[in-house]
Amino acid sequence: MPDSTVHTWTRKDLLGLEELDREEIEHILDTATGFKEISTRSIKKAPALRGKVVLNLFFEPSTRTKASFSLAAQRLSADLVDVVKESSSAVKGETLVDTGRNLEAMGVDIVVIRHQQAGAPALLGRNLDACVVNAGDGTHEHPTQGLLDIFTMREKFGDLTGKKIALVGDITHSRVARSNIWGLRKLGAEVGLVGPKTLIPSAFKDLGVNIHYNLDEVLDHYDVFNILRIQMERQNKGLFPSVREYHHLYGIDAGRLSRMKPDVVIMHPGPINRGIEISQEVADGKNSVVLRQVANGLAVRMAVLVLVQSAKERHGG
Amino acid sequence: MSKAILVKGGRVIDPASGHDAVADVIVVGGKFAGVGQFSERDVHKQFSHVIEVQTLDAGNLVVAPGLVDMRAHMGEPGHDSEESIAHGAEVAMRGGFTTVACLPDTEPALDNVAAALFVKRQSEKAGFAEVHPICALTKNREGKELTEIGQLIEAGAVAFGDEQRATDEPGGLLRGMRYAAMFDRVVIEYAQDPGLASGAMNAGYEATLAGLPGIPSVSEELAIARACMFAREAGCHYHAALLSTRNAVRAVKRAQKLGVSVTSEVCAHHLAFTDDVVRRAYDTHYKVFPPFRRSEDIGWLKRGLRENVISCITSGHRPVPPQEKELEFGRAPFGAVGLETTLGATITHIVNTAELSLSAALAKLTVNPARVLRLHDRKGAIADGLDGDLCIFDPAHEWAVTPEALSSHSKNSPFIGTKLQGRAKFVVTRGRVFDLA
Repeated sequence: MPDSTVHTWTRKDLLGLEELDREEIEHILDTATGFKEISTRSIKKAPALRGKVVLNLFFEPSTRTKASFSLAAQRLSADLVDVVKESSSAVKGETLVDTGRNLEAMGVDIVVIRHQQAGAPALLGRNLDACVVNAGDGTHEHPTQGLLDIFTMREKFGDLTGKKIALVGDITHSRVARSNIWGLRKLGAEVGLVGPKTLIPSAFKDLGVNIHYNLDEVLDHYDVFNILRIQMERQNKGLFPSVREYHHLYGIDAGRLSRMKPDVVIMHPGPINRGIEISQEVADGKNSVVLRQVANGLAVRMAVLVLVQSAKERHGG
Repeated sequence: MSKAILVKGGRVIDPASGHDAVADVIVVGGKFAGVGQFSERDVHKQFSHVIEVQTLDAGNLVVAPGLVDMRAHMGEPGHDSEESIAHGAEVAMRGGFTTVACLPDTEPALDNVAAALFVKRQSEKAGFAEVHPICALTKNREGKELTEIGQLIEAGAVAFGDEQRATDEPGGLLRGMRYAAMFDRVVIEYAQDPGLASGAMNAGYEATLAGLPGIPSVSEELAIARACMFAREAGCHYHAALLSTRNAVRAVKRAQKLGVSVTSEVCAHHLAFTDDVVRRAYDTHYKVFPPFRRSEDIGWLKRGLRENVISCITSGHRPVPPQEKELEFGRAPFGAVGLETTLGATITHIVNTAELSLSAALAKLTVNPARVLRLHDRKGAIADGLDGDLCIFDPAHEWAVTPEALSSHSKNSPFIGTKLQGRAKFVVTRGRVFDLA
C-alpha cells in the first residue's frame, strides 16, 4: 500500500465528490497511483481486504462499473458477492434499508450500490455500519467515475489548476457530469458545460462554471473534452428534436477535432454511441484516452475500497 | 341545570373584535357567556341555572379562540393506519385546534352524503376537536360529474374541492365553481398544475445538484391564475390552498385587486424551511407538497400574510407512517404532520420575527379560516352565544420537537430536532376543560 500518512481518511462512506475537500480528493488519487502499479505486476493481488466481504448491490444494469468494482475487490483479496436487483425494491415489498440491513447481517463490510434514485446511497449509509460506496445514484453523483476521469487528466497534465475542461452533452441527467464538476472545481480547473439548453440547467452557473450552447465557438478553448453519452430516451421526452440534429450540433468528429488544440484530450465515460456523440475515428484516435480511463478506474476503485474500510476500522465500527 | 367554566386572569385576545387585554371569560353550557371581570359568585348570580363553576387560572397565559384548521388529511376512510378521524381530532386538540376541516382525498373520496355523515359521526364519537368534511367537488375527484353539493352541505360539508386531481379536467372545476356559488360555499383548489408538478423537490439550484426532478414555481402560478379566472367567470369564492412561491402570492394579489373573490392560505412549515435542507441528507421528512422553496419565496409569503393577501395559516397535516418515509427520496410519499406544530411555528417564525402581532397572527388561525369555511357564526371568535372554544397557551414557552413530544401516530415532522415557542396548555371545548400538560 502506498504511504498515506499525510492525510488521514475518515469517511466510512463515499457518497459523492461534493462533500470532499481538495485534500481528500488528492488523497484518493495518490492512493490510486500506488495501486496502478499492481496492475503491471505478474501477480496482480494485494492483501489489503483479505477476509473482508464486498457486496455489489446493483439496482440498475451496468457492465463496466460492476466489473471494475468486482475486479478491484478481488485484487484486494476480498470476498465478493453480487446482488443484482433490477426490479425496484418497492415492487418487491422490501425497502432498501431492510435489504441493506439483511445483507449486513450476513457480514458484509462494504456495500457498493448503484440505484435509480438520487440519495439512495445516503439513505443506506445512514442506516448501516458497513461502508457504502456510491456507484451511481440517479442523476446525482457517480463519484468513482468522476475520480477516474480526474485521475486520467492528472496523468496527462499533473496539476489541474487553470486547466480548461469541457463536459459535452446531457448535463441535466448526468451523474458523471456532477461528480466531474465538483471534483474539477475543487482542484482548481476551469469547467465548461456544452450542450442544448434543454439539457443544461442554468442553476449550474451558480457553481462557477461556463455554459455554452454553441460547441463550435469553444473548440479551441478547452484542453479536455469529456463527452457524455446521450440517452436516446431523452429524445422521446422532447428534450432534443432528433439524434441527427444532436450529432450535427454536438457530435465530435474529425472536422471538429481538427479545430481543437493539437494535444487536446478526448474522454468518454462509456458506453459510447459511436457515430452520435463521438465518431469512430475520434473515439479510437490518438487524442482519445477512453481505454486508459477504464484501466484507471480499477486503481481508483481499489483505493476507494481500501480507504473506506480503513476509516471504518479506525472508528471501531 | 348547567355547568360553567370561568377562565380567570388571562390575556384575552379575540382577533375578530380586536379585544386584547387581561380579562375573564365565562363559558356556560358550552357557549361563551361573557368577557370581563367575574368571580364565581358573579357567575352563579348571573346564571341561576348554573350548578357548578369550574375555575381555570389563566394568569400569564394567552386566552384565544379555539384554533381553526382548514387543511388536515385524516387517514379515514381508507388509510386508518395513518390516522383515524378520532385520533386526528385528539391530535388537533393537543395542537390547540378545536375545529378542523378534513380533506376529501380519502379512499373512497368524501364525495357523498354517507361519507360526510361518517366524518361527523366519528368526530362526535371522539369528543375532541370538531372535524368537518371538505367534500369533493366532483365524483371520485375526477373532474367530471358534480357531487350533490346541496345535499352535502345539509350533511355538514363546509367547503368543496378535488385536491389536485381535477385540475386535469379544467371544465369540471369551472362547472363546480358555478354550481357551488349558488350555495355561498368556497371552492378550495390545490394550487399546482399537475402536468408540471411531477418532481420531488423545488426546481432550481438545489434540485439540480441533488439530481432530483424539480417542481417549478410556474406550475403553482399557472394553476392559481387559472382558478382565479374561473372564479371570476363563475362568481364563486375561490380559496387558493398551499401557496409556496413568490409568483403565487403575486397572482392572488393581482386577482384580489381585480375584485375576484379569492382568499388564500399558507401552510406553517412553508414559512420555516427552504429547499437546501433537502440536499443535506435526502431526509424524507422534508418531502412535502408543494416543496420547500427559496428564502426569497418565504419573504413573499410573509409579505402576503402582512398585506392579508394570505388570510389563513394551516397545518397541512398529512400523516405518513415511518415505513413509507424510510424510502429513497424520490419514492417516498409527500407529507408532514402539522397539527401540533402550527401554533408554535406561527409564533416562532411570524410573531417573534415581528412580521405580525400575536393578534394578527391568531386571526389567521381562528376567525379568518372560520369565515372561509362559513363557520363564523359558531367558531373562531370569543363572543356571547358562539361555541365556547378556547386555546390557552404560553407564547414564550419553548419546547423541543421530538417524536415523543408528538402524539400523532406518524412522526413525519420537518420540525423534529428544532425548538418552537408556544404550545397549547389548556383547551376548552364542548363544555369541558382539557389539560394538555
